[in-house]
Amino acid sequence: MGAGMTTAIKALSEIEVVSTEANNSERDVVDKPTTTVALDYGEIVLSNDEKIRMYGIPGQRRFDFMWAILKTRAEGMVLLVNNDAENPIAEMLAFVEDFRELCYKGGVVVGVSRSEIAPQPTTGEFARALAEVHPELTVPIFTLDPRSKDQMQMALLTLIVNLEMRETFGEAGVQQA
Amino acid sequence: MTTSPQNDPAVVEAASALLTEMKGVSVSLVYAAFLTDDGFDVARLPSRVTDGPRFASMASSMQALSDAVAHELRIGGSEYLIISSLNGYVIQLRVPGSLMVLSALFDNDATVGAALALTRTYAARMTGIVGG
Repeated sequence: MGAGMTTAIKALSEIEVVSTEANNSERDVVDKPTTTVALDYGEIVLSNDEKIRMYGIPGQRRFDFMWAILKTRAEGMVLLVNNDAENPIAEMLAFVEDFRELCYKGGVVVGVSRSEIAPQPTTGEFARALAEVHPELTVPIFTLDPRSKDQMQMALLTLIVNLEMRETFGEAGVQQA
Repeated sequence: MTTSPQNDPAVVEAASALLTEMKGVSVSLVYAAFLTDDGFDVARLPSRVTDGPRFASMASSMQALSDAVAHELRIGGSEYLIISSLNGYVIQLRVPGSLMVLSALFDNDATVGAALALTRTYAARMTGIVGG
């Protein structure tokens, strides 16, 4: 919670975002007035018959039923990690485990947010921790500001390129790139 | 900082008492829970049909999605939602004027109208306790 998921979807979407915000009763955990309790939905239109549909889902484990619904249908995922959280690397690793199948088909990019407030751990430390647990996994890791359309587009484009290379060349193609 | 309902012993106790009374009024009531807007259990009837905290999270997602649909269709705020199934139905509505929700599962022996009326009554009584 607090990584900027709703903000990121709003930055990227070309339609009015469908939001499911509720009053946040965990202000002691993350001090923000509302939190997403189902999903945020936005779209980017690519052509008359192609669009990217973006679903932002809450990170709190109590909403893991939403993860189960979306992870079977999603092509890829931008995993936003709040660097100001108590243990952001552990959080990333837990999500990689929960979305293992998506990660192993090259469908994940990690975006580390709030690094201007909490510069540690660095993206290098995230990458090393990931490589220790999943040495065979290639996951791009960025610091980013979810409010920045440019930075979010960069993360999304990286994800799309990764997925397309997998589709075209298989796993080896991605690792050579 | 105000105490959230799930952490307020007076609210939890009052909500539990209301649910127990509600169960006494309707034999068709299988399960019911008061929950916060963001999916925390405030009080619930004992049940073997569901894990309470998990149901509270799902119920809050349903509430938010129904609000989003009502907003999208420009039909005003959603008043209640009903899930009708082969072996029963869920009726869910906000506690008027508060950030809490009452969700109740009934078996098929009750009519939807009677179940909705009962759920509304107890949601309104909760308003009397938490204010609104």
